[in-house]
Amino acid sequence: MTLLSLPSRTDRDLYPALMSPELNAKYPPDHKAFVRIDVSLRIFWHTLFDICPELLELSGPDGMSIFRPFMAWAGEKKLAFDWSYYLWVYVWLREESPFKDRLLADDKYLRSIMAASAARWAILDRGRSRGIVIGCADTTDLVIGWKCRSVRLGREIELVEPEEPLPAPPELFGYFTLPGFELDIFPGWQSLAR
Amino acid sequence: MRLGFNFTLGDTYDMAQRLIGEGHIDYCEFLIDNFFCVDPDELAKAFDCPVGLHIMYSKFLEADRPTLVDFAARLRDYIDALNPIYVSDHILRFSHEGRAFFHLGEIDYSAEYESVRDKVVQWQEIVGQRIHFENYPSIMDGGVEAPAFFERLMKETGAGVLFDASNAVCANRNCGTPFEAWRNVIAAAQHFHVAGYRQSLIEPFISLDTHAEALAPDTLAFLQNYRSVFDKPGATMTYERDDEIEFDAIVADLKVLRDLFGQPEERRHDLALTA
Repeated sequence: MTLLSLPSRTDRDLYPALMSPELNAKYPPDHKAFVRIDVSLRIFWHTLFDICPELLELSGPDGMSIFRPFMAWAGEKKLAFDWSYYLWVYVWLREESPFKDRLLADDKYLRSIMAASAARWAILDRGRSRGIVIGCADTTDLVIGWKCRSVRLGREIELVEPEEPLPAPPELFGYFTLPGFELDIFPGWQSLAR
Repeated sequence: MRLGFNFTLGDTYDMAQRLIGEGHIDYCEFLIDNFFCVDPDELAKAFDCPVGLHIMYSKFLEADRPTLVDFAARLRDYIDALNPIYVSDHILRFSHEGRAFFHLGEIDYSAEYESVRDKVVQWQEIVGQRIHFENYPSIMDGGVEAPAFFERLMKETGAGVLFDASNAVCANRNCGTPFEAWRNVIAAAQHFHVAGYRQSLIEPFISLDTHAEALAPDTLAFLQNYRSVFDKPGATMTYERDDEIEFDAIVADLKVLRDLFGQPEERRHDLALTA
């Protein structure tokens, strides 16, 4: 349904729609507001599939059988879309989508998802922590994201297969942050923020 | 006019060094909060040229005071070590109701002036530094109110504007914001950005600030038409390129800018001394 009377003078009028394919459909497609929201949604799309192109093997090349229902589910749960964006996609794929069996049949999806979230933390977090460790109940492997530590380097992502596995997170994913550039503590798992 | 290049991550370190070494740029702009885990002294020694500090994720309109105090304390270490030409930040919305935008949002200039002004005053006080705030590449019609907003903001807060010329071009194309409306802002500003933009993939086309293309003809025409308003002693213009980073293409754009604005005062002086 298209509502021609929706306010669209400023971005602020569109904030609720900037991450909602459903709300975008309520704006007339020949209007600038529709394109503005489309631009926003495309960046959510590219942030997911450019970084984790393996997911297109599940969804088909346009990704929409993942993207649209995930964004709707995320909207219902009011997910923050912080660095854990990718991890929530995995949660949705595993618990809410028809792709669960194919997802779990190959751990490349999980590795890609965990690495993408670690990288996103490393580039966006402005707290004092140097690194983040992400664990998942589906694997004993850990993924670490390190912030830029030298002017010549960027963020770094590391896959760690510990000789003595850490206890599994109480939920599907858990994380902890590191005050220095060493994995030398295990303060316990934190749950993902919504 | 001094020309600079935005240095966002280590991947472009060698290229930035080459741009400096070959005289294509006169200073380097650090996206400073990307480097908060790099020792300030290492950063201060990274490039043999002046630097500007550009902040991306202070989120000063949205963050609580303790977070901003901590952010500012770390920023201060770099300001003290690098003695930058300027410190700049963004007036942006990063989230709505706790949910992050991936394509950052523009504020409503008519409805949010007072709250933004107060936050700008607080943020400058916390940092202990005049800050230059960048204009947004407006899309929606409310963008026409941006020039008056920034003009008033400068007068009432003492803040500067980091005037992004290509963002103003996007705003002109998208919502008709006249270039002339920016004249007083440009005249008062000392620090500038410029970059490429592209059109949206679907119609009605809008222009998007992408930093991945060559400078557009209308951007260059804008700089040419207002050249004397832009150019002034101490002025800087940072060429931003975050994607499709190719040395020769960047140098080609920098040469166009150099031809437009001529050699900076300092460089002319150096040449005179060594001639």
